[in-house]
Parts: sequence; structure tokens; C-alpha cells
Amino acid sequence: MSMPKITIDGREVQVDAGTTILDAAGKLGIPIPTMCHLQGHEATTSCMVCVVKVAGVNGLVPACGTIVRDGMQVESDSEEVFDARKAALELLLSDHVGDCMGPCQMGCPARMNIPLMIRQIAAGRLKEAIETVKRDIPLPAVLGRICPAPCEKVCRRKQHDEAVSICLLKRYVADVDLRSDRPYSPSLLPGKGKRVAIVGAGPAGLSAAYYLQLGGFDCTVFDEHDEPGGMLRYAVTEKHLPRDVLDREIAQIARLGVTFQLRARVGTAILIEEIRERFDAVFLATGELKAGDADALGVDASAEGVKIDSRTGTTSIPGIFAGGDVVRKRRLAVRAVADGKETAESIRQYLAGERVVGPMRPFNSRMGKLDDVELEVFLREAGPEPRVPLARPVDGFSRHEARAESLRCLGCDCRKTDRCLLRRHAETYDAKQTRYKAQRGVFVQQTQHPDVIYEPGKCIDCGICIQIASAHGEKLGLTFVGRGFDVRVAVPFGESLAEGLKTAAAECVRACPPGALAFTDRFAWE
Amino acid sequence: MSNQEPTEQLDLAFVEETVQRVGAGKERVLELLQAIQGHYGYLPEEALRRVCELTEITPASIAGVSTFYDQFRHRPAGKHIIHVCIGTACHVKGAESVYDAFRTHLAIPEGEDTDARKLFTVERIACLGCCTLAPAVQIDGVTYGHLTRETVPHVLSDFLRHEQARTASSGKSHRLHPAKAGVRGEVRIGLGSCCVARGSGRLHSALQEALAQTGVQVPVKRVGCVGMCHQTPLLEIVQPDQSSYLYARVQPEDARPIIQRHFGVKGPHRKLTNAVSTALDRLLTDEKWEPVTRYSIHVRDQAVSDFLGRQIHIATEHCGHIDPTDMDEYRRNGGFQGLEKAIKELTPEAVIRQIEISGLRGRGGAGFPTHLKWSAVRAAQSAKKYIVCNGDEGDPGAFMDRMLMESYPYRIIEGMVIAARCVGAHEGFLYIRAEYPLAIQRVTEALDKCREHGILGESILGTDFSLQLKIVAGAGAFVCGEETALMASIEGRRGMPRLRPPFPAQKGLWGLPTLINNVETYACVPWILRNGAEAFANIGVGKSKGTKVFALAGKIARGGLIEVPMGISVRQIIDEIGGGIAGGLKFKAVQVGGPSGGCIPVAKDNLSVDYESLTEAGAMMGSGGLVVLDETDCMVDIARYFLQFTQNQSCGKCTFCRIGTRRMLDILDRLCAGQGESSDLDELEHLAKMIKQGSLCGLGKTSPNPVLSTMRYFREEYEAHVQGRCPAGKCKALIRYSITDDCIGCTICAQHCPTEAIAMKPCEKHEIDPEKCVRCGTCKSVCPANAVRVE
Repeated sequence: MSMPKITIDGREVQVDAGTTILDAAGKLGIPIPTMCHLQGHEATTSCMVCVVKVAGVNGLVPACGTIVRDGMQVESDSEEVFDARKAALELLLSDHVGDCMGPCQMGCPARMNIPLMIRQIAAGRLKEAIETVKRDIPLPAVLGRICPAPCEKVCRRKQHDEAVSICLLKRYVADVDLRSDRPYSPSLLPGKGKRVAIVGAGPAGLSAAYYLQLGGFDCTVFDEHDEPGGMLRYAVTEKHLPRDVLDREIAQIARLGVTFQLRARVGTAILIEEIRERFDAVFLATGELKAGDADALGVDASAEGVKIDSRTGTTSIPGIFAGGDVVRKRRLAVRAVADGKETAESIRQYLAGERVVGPMRPFNSRMGKLDDVELEVFLREAGPEPRVPLARPVDGFSRHEARAESLRCLGCDCRKTDRCLLRRHAETYDAKQTRYKAQRGVFVQQTQHPDVIYEPGKCIDCGICIQIASAHGEKLGLTFVGRGFDVRVAVPFGESLAEGLKTAAAECVRACPPGALAFTDRFAWE
Repeated sequence: MSNQEPTEQLDLAFVEETVQRVGAGKERVLELLQAIQGHYGYLPEEALRRVCELTEITPASIAGVSTFYDQFRHRPAGKHIIHVCIGTACHVKGAESVYDAFRTHLAIPEGEDTDARKLFTVERIACLGCCTLAPAVQIDGVTYGHLTRETVPHVLSDFLRHEQARTASSGKSHRLHPAKAGVRGEVRIGLGSCCVARGSGRLHSALQEALAQTGVQVPVKRVGCVGMCHQTPLLEIVQPDQSSYLYARVQPEDARPIIQRHFGVKGPHRKLTNAVSTALDRLLTDEKWEPVTRYSIHVRDQAVSDFLGRQIHIATEHCGHIDPTDMDEYRRNGGFQGLEKAIKELTPEAVIRQIEISGLRGRGGAGFPTHLKWSAVRAAQSAKKYIVCNGDEGDPGAFMDRMLMESYPYRIIEGMVIAARCVGAHEGFLYIRAEYPLAIQRVTEALDKCREHGILGESILGTDFSLQLKIVAGAGAFVCGEETALMASIEGRRGMPRLRPPFPAQKGLWGLPTLINNVETYACVPWILRNGAEAFANIGVGKSKGTKVFALAGKIARGGLIEVPMGISVRQIIDEIGGGIAGGLKFKAVQVGGPSGGCIPVAKDNLSVDYESLTEAGAMMGSGGLVVLDETDCMVDIARYFLQFTQNQSCGKCTFCRIGTRRMLDILDRLCAGQGESSDLDELEHLAKMIKQGSLCGLGKTSPNPVLSTMRYFREEYEAHVQGRCPAGKCKALIRYSITDDCIGCTICAQHCPTEAIAMKPCEKHEIDPEKCVRCGTCKSVCPANAVRVE
């Protein structure tokens, strides 16, 4: 048989007869998003995220199941195709019951992965826990003492008894680390040969310095005071924040190679022009603006503070960024830390010559408030004990207390946050879950299987698992039950998943595009 | 399935016998499930598990299939099942209110479907295909038409009374005898489903009795549907002098006087007969009757000649004249001549050429040229090929195929044999909806006779061509009308469509080349062969040749089944054939093509009815349902109705159809509930566009049409809904019932109100409590003073 020749987005490719458009595009390196497609299995042509336009054919066709014909002209990068893929994703999301990230993580201004940290504590993996924490918060021992913990205000456990002591758990992780012989210190990316001036050694400035230095930039922090810390040192009482904790945590940042130039007030002692000359970028984190400050720094400001683009932290002057209390009178340390981290990303983009868009905001599916039945589902996973009281405020949690408290976490985050194709594509296509108004379905969890948890509300009804179970020769296996909008994947005769998937479970989990099928043990992926 | 009620130890011997009888292949699953449900009344889990032990059918397959089709129940049902038809015609005539009335009358609690005594189970059914009887219900095998809230209790008691009678006289068969040739004069009685539903069975008994008593020797012949369903039961008298009289809406007690009148009874009865005859004459002179429940009409009567005169009968040739399963009579009327010619005189290529010249296109909706399909299957290289007849007519508001199968089974078989020989298929299936038991029965009988007489089986008509045909009964899934879904269903799988290409002509049943055509398409083939392709091509307009059979229903004076030349105008169908709108109301629109079609507004009533014009106008030929709407019909409600239907019937495979149609329905629900927003209209159009371009199969792709076409022609009605008004006064959340000063205080409304929203106040003006009012419209329909206002 002759080999058909086709074009995709104007590029020609010759493939074997019987090849799908998807595979032909793969040969050209043209990415086409897929969810329900699994190499080696019959195309289910269900999710329709892979649609493309074929010249002369009405409407769009799924690339995964469409066999090429000689002379076919395929379009995969048009607006029409983009819009349709996005619509498919948004329709799936409108029927998706589950959170990607837990409410606590969404409530944390620094978006720290709280559920993961707590699970690591529970598993005694404290080294990993500090890595998790420091990915988003460079001053956890400090914040562990003074943070008003917005995360705990939205903790689901509150609906049952009291919120999990997230803040104290974080402090515990940080304290253990700081007290250890070799506190956690991540390795730096290779030097980029660019210098960044950070004006202000408060939480925002320190945070930016930490992440920029890790990213391979040479950072110099200027501050008018004798010691770094800003408001943490000069507005918080020693009782609330012992200075040795602050010092040790700042020392961790200095250890990365950050230069501190203290007793140096930028705008007066050192002119901003001079800074701009010596550095490739500037981050203004001076804390609340005083009269005349804005003029001295040369940036536009309002009564609230320095004017910035809220997404990127860019000021009116190219190369000058701002964050923390200098842009708003909030006085929330964790917000300032978050600003520092996020603006560091904008600065990185700026220095790399990329378009400055600020940090990527990961897509997040959100369930909102649970009813009592749904809450029960989450409570099944968690320990029944009440919140562990802080017996010795000065010392924080003991190992035993921290573990006990960590077991109270409901684990609201999805088991597949990082592997979920729905989430990944939603991000790429900037899909919005609330694009189509819909009544949320009920959150249900099936836990009878020893290794696998099934959350039908997250299922996209593609049936890949049904194929896998059948190929494994499962006696009961899986099937579609019902039809249309109400169709669900289930084990025949209402039997449990443990009966349905005797041997195919792990393969089904790996193939399941969203988080409908997942390993019960969240560390099982490793 | 797990929450079924505990049952006694089930006797599974039936399952074993059935597997023995039906077979153990995977493709037997529907047949087995149907048998099991027929026996146990539902599908007991133990029985299904036993099937898996005894056959190749896996638990996954049986669970998937049995939950896919509407026909199957997993919970025990009541002794009798009431199927309330919610087809289009029934919908516009108040089916939901009838459904509610059954539930209320039987005191069925929310979330259940069976009454406390386990006597009746009430279910909605997509379409019974008895649109002219709308609103219709079927209780077990018995169909009742023209229901209202008020008649619901009578229907139930009537059913139970006849149930008793049936049980008492069980074994006594009312089998009808075909007419004998050579007898002068005959009595013809319509025995299509509609006719039977309206009492032609009882009329038949009464006729036999009358003939026995009067000693008149004249054959009583049953004929298939004559299309005039609004007039049933129909009785045609052919006098010895061959003059013919047509009586409509005949009641059993009329049988004797009619017989006496036409077949001159001798003896002492003479006087009496004359008296009665005079009475019948009076009926014919059309004096005032009140109310008009039955009347007699002569076949040359003006209205009827319009009704029949505009029509051309090809698929319905000899309509009303021939006995559906009388093979000899079919032969006498030119039956099998087309086949003889095709198989003995012409090569397959020449036959396909004839089909090409005729211009015949698929009558199932899309209008694909028939000869191209045939050529493609013929060209496919394969040792084995299949032929399939698509009789899964699932469009609500359509019943053409049912009528064709019930009335002309030989014609369809003849068409299939011709086609099979052209493409080289030796095995095939007729897939017929389970909701059409009479069609299945008649086709079965016709298949048997064809096998006996060398029309099917080995060496057909003495040639070396062979063909085996079998019936597969569908199980209630609209999507199975889609050809790839239909084939999946025949193979014993869930009826899920798949991506085309490959088309069935390349990869069909079990991966082999398969020809699949609609019932009506096959029914046209013998005529074309017998009368010549040119004769067919001379009828019609443009690229639409020949005739099309339509089911005319809804708010029309004379509903029924019609066969008209392509190119006839909408107005001609409605006025000249249908006699205009019933009840003196104004014609608003006609819905063409069911859930894939759209609405043609009155302003476009000169539109030519052909494939291209309909598509151009935003509708579609579909399978041929024509539901006429009047000024009291709300177009948003109609759009919502169809979307509800497609949404409910979506197979659930692809995202756009499964979730997209649901989101569209959500918006329409909000609009009809008065919770619409101005952005909703744009949103509907956006979703419609996405669903059209992104859905996998034709059903999904066409599902937005009813919404798009009504938005195109009736956008102001949508806008009114956004503002919280329903101009037609249909959407319950947007209307209020009140009683005007014209009230005469007769209390009839209070007596009939199902929710006691009207207090009984004799001789005073009544009032409606808006809190209790469910807006069922009963008060308005019973008020003798027209004092109920809707706003």
C-alpha cells in the first residue's frame, strides 16, 4: 500500500497507511492535547480535546481516531480548533466534582502545598516536608510564629470540629530543620551573570532574594537599618518572634550568597539612578511608603503605595518592580513573602528576556462548600481526635504532637494534582471551570479497593479503564452503567472495585486521565 | 442494581431454557434480556448472573447493555405498566399533565414509579408512534388516546374491566381471516396500531357478529393503515357493484346498521333496516351534531378527496386496499414484479443504475444518494457482506416506518432482496423498535411466508441468489437510529455510535461491508423497478425526487399519515391535506424532522418540502415527522422539549453531546422558569455552535437545530422569556391563572382542580389560590363560561 502524504498546519508529512492524524502530528512534533487516548488501545473518541479541522469535512474531527487519507489537509492551530478544545475542557470541568488543591492551599497567600507538607509530617518524612515548605515560604519558622494563618480559616475540618493546626505544623517542620546539623539549603541554579538590587530587607525583600539567588541571580539587599528583617525585627515583639529564630532563618538566606548592604537608605544615601546603573533589575520592598519616598525612588505612587501591575509587580519604570507593604498597607507578613516570591518570578522573566507575565497561576478546580454527607467522606480518611492543644507555646509541637495533629488533615487535595491531564490542558487552554453554569454534582468516594480510590465525580466517562480491565481478563471488570449525562463507570452488579479490579487496578490508575482512579497511598507513585 | 428489593429464591429454569432456545452468542444479549424481562417483569440480578455463566456474555457486557436501553428495568414493576407517551405530538397536547395525573391518581410517591398496591408502574416513553391519538398512553398492550387529566381514572377502570374480560375469555382468539378472492363486495377494516387503539378490534368482533346475525356473506378484510388516523376506526364498505363507502370513527354498535344498509338484508328485518338506514343518511347529510363523536363520510367527500388527492402513493401504494400479510394479494397488485425484473432481467449494475436515475435518496433523514451507498458496498471486497434495514424510528412525532412495516412488510422485504442482490449480501437484519410489536409481528409473518415461497432463503425465484433475513428487536434507545450505533446494538453491545469513516459500506457489522438503509428507502425500490426509474424521477423537485411519507400530527384538523411528492409546499400540506389548524386557532409553525430538525414559521409556509430547502430553512427532512403548532404553543418550550429529548437520549460518549446538550438544557430550563439572563441567548448560540462542530455523530451534531431554528424565527419569544414573560402562556413559572367576572359560580372548576386551589363557592365568583395552583389548565378547560384567564 502506498504511504499517504498529508499536511498539518501547512507542514507535509508522509506516514504509513492506517496512521491517525494524532500520530502523524506526533511525527511532525506538533502537539495535540489528548486525554482519553492511550497508545495501544482502541481510540475511545470521547473527550474530544484532540479535535482538529480537516479541509472539506464539516465540523471538527478527533485526531486520535481519524485515519489519514492521502492529500488530507489538517489544521490544528486555528482559533476555531483552540476554541473547540477549550469548550470541551470547560464542559468537562463544569461536570467535574473535586478540588485540585485543598482550600488551605488556596487560602495561603504563598500557595504553599499544605496537604503535602502535612502528609510528609505524618509519614515522618521531615526532610521532604521542609522542601515542600521552602518551595513557597523561605521564612517558615518566622511565619510559624506570627502568621494569622488564613489557611486555617478555610480549613474544611472546621466544618466538623476545629481547623488543623497548619501554622504550628509548619513551625514544627521549620524548627526541626533549623535545629538540625545541616539545615535544608537547596542548590543554586548556574549563575546567570545578572545582578538584582533588592531595596528593603523585610519579608518581601528577603523572600525575593531567596528565590532569585536560587535562580542564579546575584542579589544585593539594601536596608536602612542596622540589621535585616524589616518589620519582623522592628515591629514584632521578641515575645512573639524570638530574634534568634529570625536571625537563623535570615542566615539561611545569606548562606546562599545574598549580599546585604545595611544602613543604606536607597533614594537618599544611595540614589536610585546609581542602583539602576549597577543592577539589571530592582525590587522595591521598602515597606510602607513615607512622604517623598516615591519621588526619591522615581516611581508612580498613589495614596495606597507604589503603583504596580498586580499580576507582575512591574512599576511605571521598566526594570523596577515592587511588592510587599510598599504597594499596599496590609501588614501581613505572609502576603509580603508571597509578593517576594511572585515578583522574583517576574524579574526572572524580565531578565531572561521573556514576556513578563508573573508567576503561572495553576488551574484549580473547586468544589466549594460540602454538605454533611460529603464531609463524612473526607472525615473517613482522617483521625477522629480533636485539635492537639499547644502544651508548651515556647517549644511548639513535639514530634508526637505534630504527628497526631497531622493525622487530622482531611486531605482535600486531589491525589493526581500533578498528573491530571484535565488540569494540565485546562491550564494550557486557559479554561475556566465556571464558564458554563451548572449545578455541582455530589462528591463521592469508593474506597473498598485496597490500593485504589475511585471518585466518580472526577470521571470523564472515557472508558479507557473499561478497556484495560477487559484486556486484563478481569472476571467482573468495569462497565458503563446508564446512558447519556448520567452514565457512570462502575463494576457490574454493583460489586465493589476490589472485586472488579483484581489485577488491572494499577494500570487503570496510570491510564485514568483525571484523578478519578488514584492510588489510595499518595506516595505510591514514587 | 444493588438496591433491588430482596426477592424470594428465584426459579432460574426459565433462564436456562431461554439460553437453550435463543443461543449463547454475545450478540444474543438483547434477545435474552427481553425474554427475561418478559418473564420476570424486570431483570433480576440472579438471572443476569446466570446468563453470564451459561453464555459468552460477560458481566460487564450484560450490565452495560441492560442499563443502556430504556426498555429494561432492574427493579420489579407493578402488575401493569403504563407507558405515557411524551412524543412531540403528545407533548404539545399535554402529555406531562397526563403523566402527573396518573401519578397523582395512583398516589405514587416522589422518587418511585409504582403504586403501593404494586398494580401499576408509570413510565414515560419517548414515542409510541401514535401521534394522531395524542396524548396517548399504552397500558401493557392496550393503547388509549386523547387523554386528559380528567379521563385518567376512566382509562384505568376501563383497562381493569377489560383485563378481567380478557382473563375470563382467555384462549378465545379473535384471529382475522384474509379475504377470499372472487367474492363480490367486501368490508375493509383498518387494523394499524392507531386503529386498534381506537377500538377497531372491538369493531371487528361486532362486524363478525353482525354478519353472522344478518346472514350476509361478505368477507371482512383487514387492511393496514390508510393514513387517516384522525378518523379511526375506519370502515370501508365495497358494495357488490364495487361502489365504495368510507365510514370513519365507527363504533361497534354501528356495525349492524351499516351492514344492513349496504348488503340489502331480506326478510322481516327489512323495515327496521330502512329506519336505521334513514338515520345513517341523516348523519351523512351533516346535520348538527353535538358533540361530534363519530360520523360517516363518503370517500368522494370534498375534504377527504383533498386529503387523498394531493398524495401520491409509492411507499404506501394500495394504501387501505391490501391485507398486510396476504402474499397473494400483494402479488396480484404487482408485488415481486420489481424483484423478478431486478433478479432475472437486469444485472446488479443495471439495477443500481436504475436507482441512480430515479434519484432516490435515503429516507432516514440525511438524504444520502441511495445508489452511491449500494455501489460502495458492491465495490467492497469481502467474502461476506450484510444488509440491514433501519426500522428504529425513534423520532418523537414520527410513525411512518411503523406504518410501513405494519402495512407493507412484503414491499420492504422485496426492496431488501433487490438491494442485497445488488451488493452481494446473503445475510441481513431488520432492526425494529421494541415499541412496535405489531410491526414485528407482521414482518415476522411476512418473512416466514417469503421463506416458504422462495422469496427468501436459498435460490430465490429459482436463481442461485440466496438471502437470510432476521429481525432484531431494539430496546428503546433513540441513538440506535444512528447507523453505527444500530450495528453495535445488533452485535449485542451498547448502542454507541463510532467515528465515521470507516463507513458501514467498508466496515459494518462485525467489521464487514454492510448496506444499511431506512425502511421507507427500501419500500420505494420495488415501485421504481416496476414503473421505471424515470417515472420516479419525474416526481419531485431539484435533487429531491419521488415522494416522502410524513406523519402529520399536532394541532392539525386531520392528522395522519401522508405520502406527498417532494416539492409540495408546507401550506399545501397543512391546509389542503391537513384541513388547517384544529379548533380555529392560528397556525404558528410546523416542526419538521424531530430532534434533528427545526421549526418552519407561518411566514415561510410556501417553502418547498425537499431536502435542500428544509436544510436551508434550518430544519431537516429527518425521518419525516410533521408536528403542527398553533398560537398557544411556546417556541422556547418546544425547543426545550426537543433538547430534553436529545439530552436524555444521548449515548454519553462524547463530551459535546453528553455535557454540552445538558448545559443548553440548563439554560432553557432557566428561561422557562423565569430565571433567564440576557446573556443566556448568546450562550445558547455559542453552545449550539460548539456541539454542532464537535460532536461525534449525527445525532449530536444536529441536536442544537430545534433551538437554533426557533431562535432564528422566534427570537422575540426568547427575549420575552428573559424578561419573565411567556407570550404563549405555556411556561408554568411565568403564568398565572385567575377567574374573571364572567364566572357563573357553577363550581365545576373547584370540583376538577387537582390541588384544591379553588374553593367551592356556589353561585359566587371563584378564586384561584396561586400558592396551590399547579397551572395544569384543568379549570380553563372545564369552565363553561370561559371565565378562566391566563396571563
